[in-house]
Amino acid sequence: MKEVLLRTEKLSKTFSNGGQLQHVLKNVDLELYKGDFTVIMGASGAGKSTLLYALSGMDTPSLGKITFGNEVISSYSSDELAVFRRKHCGFVFQQIYLLDGMSVMDNVLAAGLLTSKDKKKIVEYAKELFRAVDISEETQNKFPTQISGGESQRAGIVRALVNSPGILFADEPTGALNSKTGLDVLNTLTEFNGRGQSIVMVTHDMRSARRGNRILYLKDGSVLGECNLGRYVHGDKERHEKLATFLTEMGW
Amino acid sequence: MKRSFLIVCSNLRKAKGQMAVISVLLLLAALMLNLSLMLMMDYKQNFNRCHDKLNDGHVTLVFNDNSKEIRDFVTETLENDNRTVQYQIENSLYMAGSFRYNNAELSLDLVALEKETALKRSVGRAGIVEDSRLQSGVYLPIIYNSSEDIASGSKIDITVGSDTVINYTVCGFFNSTMAGSHNCGLTEILLTADKYKELADKKLAASGTLVSVRMDDKTNSEDFEADLKNAISKKYPAVSILSNSYTLVYSSRYISQMICSAIISAMAAFVTLIGLVVITSNISNYIHKNMKNLGALKAIGYRSRQVIMVFLLQFLSITLIAVTIGIGLSYCMFPALNTMMAAQTGIPYDVHFLPVPSLLAVSSLCGVVALAVYMASYRIRKIEPVTALRQGVLTHSFKRNHIPLEHTKVPLSFALALKTTLAGIKQNITICLTMFVLSLVIVFSVVMLENVILDTEPFINMIVGEIADSSINVDIQQEKELVKILEEDTRVEKAYLYHMEDLRHVGGISLLVILSDNFMDFKNQDLCIEGRFPKYNNEVATGARYAKDKGIKIGEEITLEAYGKKAVYIVTGFTQNSNFLGKDCMMTRDGYKRMAEPKGASYYLDIKDGVDIDKFNEEISSHFGNGVYTINIHSQIKSGSAVYVSLMSVIVIVILAVSVIIILFVLYILIRSLLNNKKHDYGVMKAIGFTTRQLMLQTALSFMPAAMISAVAGIIISKIIINPLLSVFLSGIGIVKCNYSVSAGFIIAAGTCMVMAAFGIACLLSIKIKKIAPEKLLSTE
Repeated sequence: MKEVLLRTEKLSKTFSNGGQLQHVLKNVDLELYKGDFTVIMGASGAGKSTLLYALSGMDTPSLGKITFGNEVISSYSSDELAVFRRKHCGFVFQQIYLLDGMSVMDNVLAAGLLTSKDKKKIVEYAKELFRAVDISEETQNKFPTQISGGESQRAGIVRALVNSPGILFADEPTGALNSKTGLDVLNTLTEFNGRGQSIVMVTHDMRSARRGNRILYLKDGSVLGECNLGRYVHGDKERHEKLATFLTEMGW
Repeated sequence: MKRSFLIVCSNLRKAKGQMAVISVLLLLAALMLNLSLMLMMDYKQNFNRCHDKLNDGHVTLVFNDNSKEIRDFVTETLENDNRTVQYQIENSLYMAGSFRYNNAELSLDLVALEKETALKRSVGRAGIVEDSRLQSGVYLPIIYNSSEDIASGSKIDITVGSDTVINYTVCGFFNSTMAGSHNCGLTEILLTADKYKELADKKLAASGTLVSVRMDDKTNSEDFEADLKNAISKKYPAVSILSNSYTLVYSSRYISQMICSAIISAMAAFVTLIGLVVITSNISNYIHKNMKNLGALKAIGYRSRQVIMVFLLQFLSITLIAVTIGIGLSYCMFPALNTMMAAQTGIPYDVHFLPVPSLLAVSSLCGVVALAVYMASYRIRKIEPVTALRQGVLTHSFKRNHIPLEHTKVPLSFALALKTTLAGIKQNITICLTMFVLSLVIVFSVVMLENVILDTEPFINMIVGEIADSSINVDIQQEKELVKILEEDTRVEKAYLYHMEDLRHVGGISLLVILSDNFMDFKNQDLCIEGRFPKYNNEVATGARYAKDKGIKIGEEITLEAYGKKAVYIVTGFTQNSNFLGKDCMMTRDGYKRMAEPKGASYYLDIKDGVDIDKFNEEISSHFGNGVYTINIHSQIKSGSAVYVSLMSVIVIVILAVSVIIILFVLYILIRSLLNNKKHDYGVMKAIGFTTRQLMLQTALSFMPAAMISAVAGIIISKIIINPLLSVFLSGIGIVKCNYSVSAGFIIAAGTCMVMAAFGIACLLSIKIKKIAPEKLLSTE
């Protein structure tokens, strides 16, 4: 029996666009499990990112309930949500969004020192993560504008993981990268998932989606279907075909 | 041009708030600049206009003798002097008197003229400003119309001598440039024919002669005054003379104008400076933010000059609008300022449009704005399109990582705030400049509050020199008796000679001399600002301002002359008070006796607390009869200084209010541009768990290092320079060395309040961070 990490009940999100209401998420009932690499797929405008930001407490739902463990985060104020995010969530963005005015190391520590008062411990852990994603000490002291896109995204993953979050949310993490560096980033995420890190990733790239063990397909703001692939194994053709079939069924 | 205009409109729309703040700063600058220019260029000229209109004299004399002999002598002297252009000699009544003004008794040397005669004088005529057409009573100088209890038709008690009170009906008010205020040395009043006759018949006032002389060159009026006075004194030593000159009156009646214009112009300069810094910082931020667009424009062939032209057009158009409104507002405020200052100048001024100050204000502000815009946007010329398209990222960056979080011991929020501080040089310069200026303003306000408004004594000491409770003047024959009475009276704590006479510096001008038997009796020992008071009969201490003008040094010998007799004195020190605009000196009574016998003896008295000074003076007066003249100095000072105190209070309130507006605006601009520049960063920080409160604190804290350092430096420097600076402002009234106390505690408290206010305002203004929604910045869908 998998442990439920995050649960949504009748989750809805509506935007007002020039007086017209746009229902981006419609009564989404969902459970996310600990240790899973959940991939959210769907066509553009299906509500993937909106769902991701609602799940991560970055945005508040219009209706419905989101529960993280015993905490009902959908009723939190913006500051309570900020505290929730710093404690339980890590974020990897498509545009990376490292802070230009700080060195790579400071970008990571700015997030790490938010939750931990033991600076020595957090610095050590950050360095360990940097080693794991193959970022040298020299690069750690550089500014984001001085390093490559792949290095930046890997630094972004370190920033997301430095607080040992319950869930790592990734929004198109390879979207702005070339295929080689994109692959490095996916390998890094897969590796951390293998160590037990729960990941929720939004993507429209099938190569990225293959890394997940659970695929959710969104259409018009609702979960149209899901597919359980099992753990990622490099070169497992059967698994890849299963995903392809699922996506075809979903209208991909 | 049309395309540039459209870009300007788009830029203005995009930065409405910042443009509004810049406009308000420029509006304030224009308002103050135009006010100060009007005060400097026209307000004081009004004296000359009135002077010419009334064909007033450049030298006015009044003496207590109206015999034909002395009149003939004066006529002959004036006729023989080729500097004389026109003169008028008139019968007058001459007396020491007092009346209630500004809720206190004001003692004056009064010259009473018969109204119709005064209005018909060829030189020095009076001009009626307000006439109730009552048939019997007194006309007063228009300055006294500012007092609550003096109005046309009201009754006024004028005390003649020490104890004779005459009740008059105030028939109206008149204007007289040379004798229309207590700042003129002598004050004219006009009596209707019946009242004039009544006063003359009662022999309460001396029958005197009023002489008004117009000269070919008014700049020599002090020399002419001294020469004429000296000639009369030499031939008629017993005659008591009061006089003034154009130079003295022109300066003394416009003290408030001088103070006001100096302060307003300084404030205008400060606000302009801050406005310019804000404009340059705004342009710099714009270039930074729109680097890519600028690169694109340059890449497709736009020239830097065209982009700079857009900036010039944008800022000059708002400058022109703001300055025009500012100038318009200055005309709305001028009447209030005029009313305030007319209470001191006493010369009516009609507010009218002045094209020259307005043109100067427009051209100077547009000029400095154009220069600042050009210099700030000049950097565009140096931007290569490739660099601009890379958002200004250079291939070689030597950026330093300030406060590395790994090594710093500072808490996270402080460390991140410090990073922002150290990365924003322009932000720091703006803050430093603003806080520095505000520190100077705060120190000035504190000094004025401490030395003029709350405790008036330091200000009065500087103006008057020495203060006591009462002054009693007796004939020289009665001095011994007075001293005996004062020694025996237990109500008197201290009595010392403080007597004024006239003398002339040979090769210089006529000076007032203060005589004392022992200058160590003076409470205000700071009166002597350099060297020492005279001790021996061959010593003199001269007014510092006069000594500076004439190049007199301590230890030098100068020749003085009184009643035709000359004597040489050694200068032992320099004194300072603005009573006679620094044209005075001090010596012992024995020293004066080397030239002449003093005509009387004036004693300053310190009276025990709780004793009614007026009653005490009345007792002394009744004992000695007509030969004594007493003044309640407290009352005199209260009525005289009320105008300055209220003027200074208004100035302090206004400059403090302007300071708050400036700090608010500057922080608004800085925080807004900071939030614009860091919008994405804050979005990311919110996403990774920073709360709005943390980011607000961080933003506010990022301004604090520059604010605190500049406030501390500003306050220390201001504390050092405030007195020399005030000396420069007040040099026109004879002040060479200002020595106002500057309470460290008071200033530290004010400085702390200023920094705390800046922090509070910064926190409040950063509340916009709340609106930054991370999901909107980060969403890819």
